[in-house]
Amino acid sequence: MMRNLPAAALLVAALAIPLVFGGNGYIMGLMVSGLIVAGVALAWALLGNLGGMVSFGHAAFFGVGAYTSAILSAKAGLPVPLSLLAGALGAALCSLVMLPALRLSGPYFALAILAYAHIFKILATELSSITGGSAGFQRFPTLPTIAGIDFSSRTGSYALLVVMVALCALVYRAVKRSHVGTALRAMAESEDATRVVGVNATLLKSWMLLLSAFITGLFGAMNAHIINFLEPDYAFSGNWSVLPIIAAIFGGYRTILGPVAGAVLIYLFDQIIAKELLPVGHQILLGLLLAGMILVAPNGLFGLFQTRRKGAPHAAA
Amino acid sequence: MLEVRGLRAGYGRINVLWDVSLQFPTGELTAIVGPNGAGKTTLFRALMGLVPHQGEILLDGRPIRGRTWDLLEAGVVMVPEGRMVFKDMSVAENLALGAYPQRCRQARARNLERVYALFPRLKERHRQLAGSLSGGEAQMVAMGRGMMSEPRILLIDEPSLGLAPVIVKEVFGIIRRLKAEGVTIGLIEQNTHIALSVADRMHLMRSGKVLLSQDAGSVDLDRLHDLYLARESGQVQA
Repeated sequence: MMRNLPAAALLVAALAIPLVFGGNGYIMGLMVSGLIVAGVALAWALLGNLGGMVSFGHAAFFGVGAYTSAILSAKAGLPVPLSLLAGALGAALCSLVMLPALRLSGPYFALAILAYAHIFKILATELSSITGGSAGFQRFPTLPTIAGIDFSSRTGSYALLVVMVALCALVYRAVKRSHVGTALRAMAESEDATRVVGVNATLLKSWMLLLSAFITGLFGAMNAHIINFLEPDYAFSGNWSVLPIIAAIFGGYRTILGPVAGAVLIYLFDQIIAKELLPVGHQILLGLLLAGMILVAPNGLFGLFQTRRKGAPHAAA
Repeated sequence: MLEVRGLRAGYGRINVLWDVSLQFPTGELTAIVGPNGAGKTTLFRALMGLVPHQGEILLDGRPIRGRTWDLLEAGVVMVPEGRMVFKDMSVAENLALGAYPQRCRQARARNLERVYALFPRLKERHRQLAGSLSGGEAQMVAMGRGMMSEPRILLIDEPSLGLAPVIVKEVFGIIRRLKAEGVTIGLIEQNTHIALSVADRMHLMRSGKVLLSQDAGSVDLDRLHDLYLARESGQVQA
């Protein structure tokens, strides 16, 4: 019961928010954007926690997902649910280019992926016949109405995102609890020892990168159809790389729900409080907030729950 | 039977093994003894595909491709030197990792029962972090993990390393039981006497070569000691 308490609390909050703020377009809009960041933060934490890789390049997957879905739905007439999937697959495909970088570790991987993210931003700018270049890309379908639910409305988008974040969290949990998750955890401790038991480390890391890119691309695609306008500077903005990192570390990147809650809290704090206090350079307050969190709780907000729970069996034994 | 022919291996430009050829006959315990730096561990690591190497590795007469996971799928399993347990993971999780190869996942629960029957202490401590175990218990985890991989051939590298004599005796008791169960065993050991007490055949390695191969029952101990301590240098070719 205690185990599922954070999950239950988040679920109640997710249901309560539209009931309380459903009529407030501003708040619901912020929640939608917060949940987009939450999805990316979840994907980032999956790669960081399970794969042991720190990525500064998730903006690439986000932008590729966004452009792929927007272009396919506008120019090839693909129905939006399918184009979203195509966007996610497109992002996963792009991550394949990153596979050689998996041989690098720590800061070297981080630098490689940072450079890699820029390649796609440049491509989106230069391939203007397809992407509209720096002038931007618009006139593509919004999220559709299915079974009487208008997903393009704020509440509809919100519901879709809550479900998608929850689904991705469940996938994350399934991977974490599988033999693959155990092997990945062992790998973080000693890659040599995992080779002895027959784990193909590179293969598992590749799968984590693919999965993380897939989820990030999916949220990039959903965001594109919600915002309904794309330009390279927005879709590949460094914010899509940095905000999820801040959110995941704030919430606890070794937990599954930490990045989700962290993303929503960080995003709301940034938009409602930080922007009010410091209209220019409000991100500096995020840095301060993160620094404070690391000092108080190095494992993040949800890390607090976890350490306490982990301590229990030892105390009992 | 596991067999190596003309195995050469090393680290970077430094060669450690020079055309090593030997066999691990099915159902037997083959001991490899020798001084530090003889290349014993490198031999096992090369066999497992953990060190780049040249030469042939044959399992039941068929060459096997030398990636570690392929060897594990084929039933060649190593209990590495220094145990290499995962210190931040529980005993149960360490054992579960032994069942990582595809082939062993189905029978995981049954194999776990078997390991716990052989090492009751591990069952008592299954929730404890492996890093908090004593050396002997960590060796049991390493061996239990190896058994979870359902070995046809188990390569055990210096199980007595750093253990008290009483614990060494216990560990070798387990090795005897595994042998009685029909597991083909390769054993690296610095303690020649205890190695000879369980072995069927014994090979002495020094400077990356096999210098002496004898049946354990008829070992010429004087010759063994001379070679071990390099008093008989004629055998060693540059």
